[in-house]
Amino acid sequence: MSDLEVLTTRVTEALGDSVIEHAEACGNLVLRVRLESWRSVAETARKELGCNYLSFISGIDWMPAPTVGLIEGDTSTPAQPKEMTFGAAGSAGRFQVFAHVQSTSQHIGFTIKADLDEAAPHCESWVSVYPGADWHERECWEMYGVVFDGHPSLRHLYLPWEFEGHPLRKDFPLLAREVKPWPGLTDVEPMPGSESDEDSKDEAGEA
Amino acid sequence: MGLADSGMLQKPVAKPLTWLLNYSRKYSLWMFQWGLACCAIEMGAALASPRYDMMRIGVIPFPASPRQADLIVISGTVTDKMAPAIRRLYEQMPDPKYVISMGSCANCGGPYWDSYSVTKGIDQILPVDVYVPGCPPRPEALIQAVVMLQEQIQNEGIGNDDMRKRWNGEPINVV
Amino acid sequence: MSTTEQPSVPTNSGPDFNPGPDFKDIPAFEVDPGLQRHLADARVNVELDTGDMIINLGPQHPATHGTLRLVVRLDGERVIAADPVIGYMHRGYEKLTEFRTYPQVTTLINRIDWLSSFANEVPFVHAAEQLMEIEAPPRAQYIRTALTELSRIATFLLFLGEMGLQVGALTPAFYGFRDREHVLNLIESATGGRFHPNFNRIGGLKDDLPWGWIAETRNVMKIVLDACDVFEDLVLGNEIFQARTRSVGIIPGELGASYGVSGSNLRASGVDWDLRRDGAPYLAYPELDFEVFTHPDGDSFARYWVRLQETRESARMVLQLLDKMPAGPIMAKVARIIKVPAGEAWVETENPLGQMGYYVVSKGGTGPFRVKIRSASFSNVSILPWMLRGVYVPDVVTILASLYFILGDIDR
Repeated sequence: MSDLEVLTTRVTEALGDSVIEHAEACGNLVLRVRLESWRSVAETARKELGCNYLSFISGIDWMPAPTVGLIEGDTSTPAQPKEMTFGAAGSAGRFQVFAHVQSTSQHIGFTIKADLDEAAPHCESWVSVYPGADWHERECWEMYGVVFDGHPSLRHLYLPWEFEGHPLRKDFPLLAREVKPWPGLTDVEPMPGSESDEDSKDEAGEA
Repeated sequence: MGLADSGMLQKPVAKPLTWLLNYSRKYSLWMFQWGLACCAIEMGAALASPRYDMMRIGVIPFPASPRQADLIVISGTVTDKMAPAIRRLYEQMPDPKYVISMGSCANCGGPYWDSYSVTKGIDQILPVDVYVPGCPPRPEALIQAVVMLQEQIQNEGIGNDDMRKRWNGEPINVV
Repeated sequence: MSTTEQPSVPTNSGPDFNPGPDFKDIPAFEVDPGLQRHLADARVNVELDTGDMIINLGPQHPATHGTLRLVVRLDGERVIAADPVIGYMHRGYEKLTEFRTYPQVTTLINRIDWLSSFANEVPFVHAAEQLMEIEAPPRAQYIRTALTELSRIATFLLFLGEMGLQVGALTPAFYGFRDREHVLNLIESATGGRFHPNFNRIGGLKDDLPWGWIAETRNVMKIVLDACDVFEDLVLGNEIFQARTRSVGIIPGELGASYGVSGSNLRASGVDWDLRRDGAPYLAYPELDFEVFTHPDGDSFARYWVRLQETRESARMVLQLLDKMPAGPIMAKVARIIKVPAGEAWVETENPLGQMGYYVVSKGGTGPFRVKIRSASFSNVSILPWMLRGVYVPDVVTILASLYFILGDIDR
């Protein structure tokens, strides 16, 4: 039995019912778990499997990009299939959240995915399990609009506070490809925690 | 320059005096430390490394406050989030002030020409004197840009009208 | 001229001052109970009731070496709370990769961690190669390993000099820059670029090594090894340096791992984990004989010590690689227009700043469908709010310098 098979058995036994599907992708174990057990999976991974190291949390949008590969015969722009297909371990809908956890002592690691509701994507926060999840979840909220329930302060991480939209969603157009004027100079951005910054937080709560 | 307007100097300023003032100015450029992206490391190499050593041509890279500086090198990618801060710091610099745009990102957006968060060209918010192409430009290119800027300073007139005229001219391109 | 009334100036102090909800206490996480004792709250002096002050460090500040902005709340000289504001260098890599073909992506990702550009390319190219089920020939693997280690040396030499600069010693910075130029010359002569080589191709390398490169590299590695000795005497042995860095900015190993801190920062906290040795085998590392250094202290001094030892070890690894360098082709057979079959690949490598990983999702086109870039500095810096609570202002600069982050690697 190879190392990966040993790991697969161990992980699927520890996680039990939460696992919907598991697959192997280029030597990496990918698990799809139920959304309800998103947080309990992290707890099991950390406490029982010894995965003490959080590599990343992020999202993925499986919708084909409407603007890629429009020009026929132009090899400088990428061409991609136009139909919606899903990656390793499958997906139930458009949005997924995925994370990679590792163990620094046993040198193992695996990827966990969960399907999200398309209209109002939200899932539980991992902050109480891995403190480092804080920034990753803020990034994921900003980029995909995934709301993490129980996150202490879901506010903009990278972008200016008045930025509209979620850039990594596939239906967000890239500015220079669609002609959109430069937003121009804004005044100095507010201090984190001030009123205008609060607005963005409220929107996060409503979404 | 305020000196001419304050009445201490008679207008038009005598040529030898202009030459002397410009000569002194061009060899005491105080350069604001403003490291942005990759180019900042090459700027650091031009300033601090013994091989390039920009101080020998009269650029003093010490002011940590824009109020003491008269040259700013925009070295790297400018994002829309950063642009207001750059504008504000530029406004704090005393006149006459000079801007060198270093690297493709500061010139036009560079490899991020279609990004949603990058300001495509620093010249949208500041008047630029010298553009340095490259990704990133070598330290020698930055040194040449400074030398060209010094030539420009030497040929400047003194007095506010001349300063205003300066912005109507074409910027210098380092080739 | 005289003014009878003072204009009302908004103050950042006083009993009515509301610092906003952002500065509320960081919740006590369900980490090990042993760690909770170390939570920095205990160190904050609450007996003297002095007014708080909020200051902005950055986004333009010489100590943040880049565009990091730190909003720190001070009680006298002490930091009560710190909130890093990032994103001033956010260039939208993950979106841009979806609009580029695979060869174009390598150009782009060079610029994530701009000090070790070559090391950035390797995991992405590996991910693409894994999906295409091709492998670069051995000579290409060896050259890649050598150039990765050279960029590690260049990165760390800058750190060894810069760290001295941040605690007030100007001399090491000149030494660091001087010796780094030798390494950059090597990278330039092999790849054509001082900074952004863009030398990797999917399936191999652009070119073979130039004539005389191996002999020249041997000479330069001697210079690097000498430089390490100089730094050991000049900086590590310096009493002032030790006073500024010892027991400043301690990261407990277990907490660091749960924050995702990696690389030398984690090894300086006693966690013996190096992806070159422990991860999935990549490049020529399984065939090399090298040591992984750890330090039990976890403070700024330990981080400097570990990086210094790793620089020396990297130079030794480059010498080994030059001895073992096999002959042969440098490029596998790859179609002219690269199409990557559908699938997913996660490749992580030990970069100079820590664990760098790419999660590449392909749908079978000429460009990637989604690339999640896991960069090291992002997680390394996310521990700052915890680390900076209760330290003094001068130590903030030491801690920032010793964590050694690159802004492009944080913001991407």
